Amino acid sequence: MNRPLDLYDIQGNICKGYGRFGFPKARYFFLEFHDYAGGRNFLQQLIPLITTAEPWSEKKHPDQSDKPAATTNIAFTYHGLCALGLPRRSLDGFPQEFKMGMKPRAAILGDNGPSSPQHWDPVWQGDTVHAWVSINGQTQEAVEQRFSQIEDLIQSVQGSVSIRPGHKGPNGSLLPYQDASAVFENGKATPKEHFGFVDGIGNPYFEGCGHDPERLPGRGKLNRDGKWEPLATGEFILGHVDEAKEYPLAPEPHLLARNGTFMVYRKLHENVKTFNDYVDNMAKDFNGSRELLMAKFSGRWPDNGAPLVLAPDDKAKAELDQKMAELQKKAAEGDACAIGQLKALEEQWIDFTYNDDKHGAKCPIGAHIRRTNTRGSLETEKGAFDRPGALVDRRRLMRRGLPYGGHDELTNDSSEQGIIFMCLGASLERQFEFVQQQWVNYSNDFHLGNDRDVLIGANNGKLTDKAILQVNPKDGKAPFFCTHLPRMVETRGGDYFFIPSITALDMIAQGIIDPT
Amino acid sequence: MANTFGNSYGLTTLCPLINGVHDKQTSFDKITRRRIQRLEEDAGSPFARIPNTYFARLFILNDVFFQQGNDVARDHLKSKYLVFTSNFHGELEPYLKGMWDNAEADVRSLWQYAVAFDKVQNADDFIAYIKKCQLTTTLFFNGSTDVSLKEQLKALYVKQVFSEFTLAHQGQDAAALRTAFNNFMAEIKLADLDQPSWAPGQTRLQNMY
Repeated sequence: MNRPLDLYDIQGNICKGYGRFGFPKARYFFLEFHDYAGGRNFLQQLIPLITTAEPWSEKKHPDQSDKPAATTNIAFTYHGLCALGLPRRSLDGFPQEFKMGMKPRAAILGDNGPSSPQHWDPVWQGDTVHAWVSINGQTQEAVEQRFSQIEDLIQSVQGSVSIRPGHKGPNGSLLPYQDASAVFENGKATPKEHFGFVDGIGNPYFEGCGHDPERLPGRGKLNRDGKWEPLATGEFILGHVDEAKEYPLAPEPHLLARNGTFMVYRKLHENVKTFNDYVDNMAKDFNGSRELLMAKFSGRWPDNGAPLVLAPDDKAKAELDQKMAELQKKAAEGDACAIGQLKALEEQWIDFTYNDDKHGAKCPIGAHIRRTNTRGSLETEKGAFDRPGALVDRRRLMRRGLPYGGHDELTNDSSEQGIIFMCLGASLERQFEFVQQQWVNYSNDFHLGNDRDVLIGANNGKLTDKAILQVNPKDGKAPFFCTHLPRMVETRGGDYFFIPSITALDMIAQGIIDPT
Repeated sequence: MANTFGNSYGLTTLCPLINGVHDKQTSFDKITRRRIQRLEEDAGSPFARIPNTYFARLFILNDVFFQQGNDVARDHLKSKYLVFTSNFHGELEPYLKGMWDNAEADVRSLWQYAVAFDKVQNADDFIAYIKKCQLTTTLFFNGSTDVSLKEQLKALYVKQVFSEFTLAHQGQDAAALRTAFNNFMAEIKLADLDQPSWAPGQTRLQNMY
């Protein structure tokens, strides 16, 4: 039974991936507060613009009338909360990793070599990023309009708040904001990122999130009968019970934390040329198409995101594509049976397990989606845990964010393109940091030694920077080793943020947070 | 069987330290702890020189902990103890002799303030002393087989270089692969436990960090 949440008290980006609701454009910018009073005054004026999690119709059933042209959300770093004058006791109650911020966690996150904080965009140098503001728009004009509205608010508090400049933009420019956008093909927004993969498919479903219950299969938690249940609210929103049947660690007073959460912001640069060259080179020796090799890295086919467990090789993919095309044609003609079959087929994009692929012959054990959302695959033997996914249910990542750059210039390693990765959860340490450290950049849990994620791992191009594409042991074939993995993705900046509820935001703005 | 597991031996000893202070300034346990804390690690550790040591640890036991909330009966130790534990391959006496022969200066320094250690003059005395302080236990370091250290180090080395060989020669035709493998086997000298191999005290791949 879903616990009713006050969706009007929760910031909208927690419950909604705006992209799915028809907002392909975004702008992120970062504020510095110079004095308590002015900062709070600014917040009071900003609150009416903040978008809540009130239910909207989805992109598939467009009804634009119930949505604003642009959304606005805000979150704070630890330094930002200090700069707004929160009481010491409230500040002390935040988790250690949030208080430290992202840069001192570099060793845990694998932000080394070219990803080291000293190479990050200028905006991240020093400790003066105090707040993150995001605008998502149905159009770029809507984004610009909302941005200038907020600029006016900043002007009105006369130097108490400033926008931190220093985001690297196209052709060596430095911008006061970070723009992001869905990748457009033939004038239409796509769910792809710059390596060419369809992204953002497997986001979690939790109690009270306000989403269509039809989205539960594949997104919730697996129970013993192979059915899906919503994850506990407290995995994603503070002040509610989590999967351990506990309240997540949160600061006092209760109202400061309740209905808020934590957010990771990372600018992840994609070395598109390095990626393409590597795939081209490996594909020469690989027994399969270039697309299959890419799919082996991610666990999903690049063009449409079909999981490898559904279509494990080129032949199966061709059959799947043909079946899809036929169903889509019939469905377009209004064939009710085909519409139902198509829907059932599309559900298999997300509603699957690795139960029939223990050895990774279909989807490699180290493939990106199998590492970052292990589903039930870490259960050592059937019945070993309370639930097959007991180990992953506490480490699910609610991903937000969009690609950036890559539109107007030659796409190579030095041009600006990548993903603004944002990830929300009740515990930065237990969820994001664990997945990044143990599952992306290490493989003990998968019995793959020190292997790292091909796409986002901190690889360095050495012989032993490798990925193994497994085969069925009974086939008598050799596995395929991808060696000399280069650094495909580099971190270019980021920090940890606290997204308060509307209630808490109002209390911060009034200066009445009182932990006693 | 207590103390042994296959060909491995789990030694646990508690050696009482002299109560009191040196030069009216520093207690003997403090001096001993400082000496432990200044020992070199990994390949520079004296235990890397002592043959067949899988895993060894030294620390000072200050006192026993009492069960909190139960303040009826509190036990205390009469002195502090130097705790020495070692997991190694083979029999106890040859191991302790190896310890004395290869690291006598370290042994004398670490045990200098242990009760009655001033009577220890040679390997036989050391063996007798340690046996007197020994506890019978079944405490083993989980992460080792029971074969000799040299065999274990060679096995780790072979595992590392063989995976590198596999990665470097993927997809070669049978004849080229056979030639390369023959060269590889000649290079790694499977029967030679001394070299090439990992060095005693090495705990991780050398090229990793």
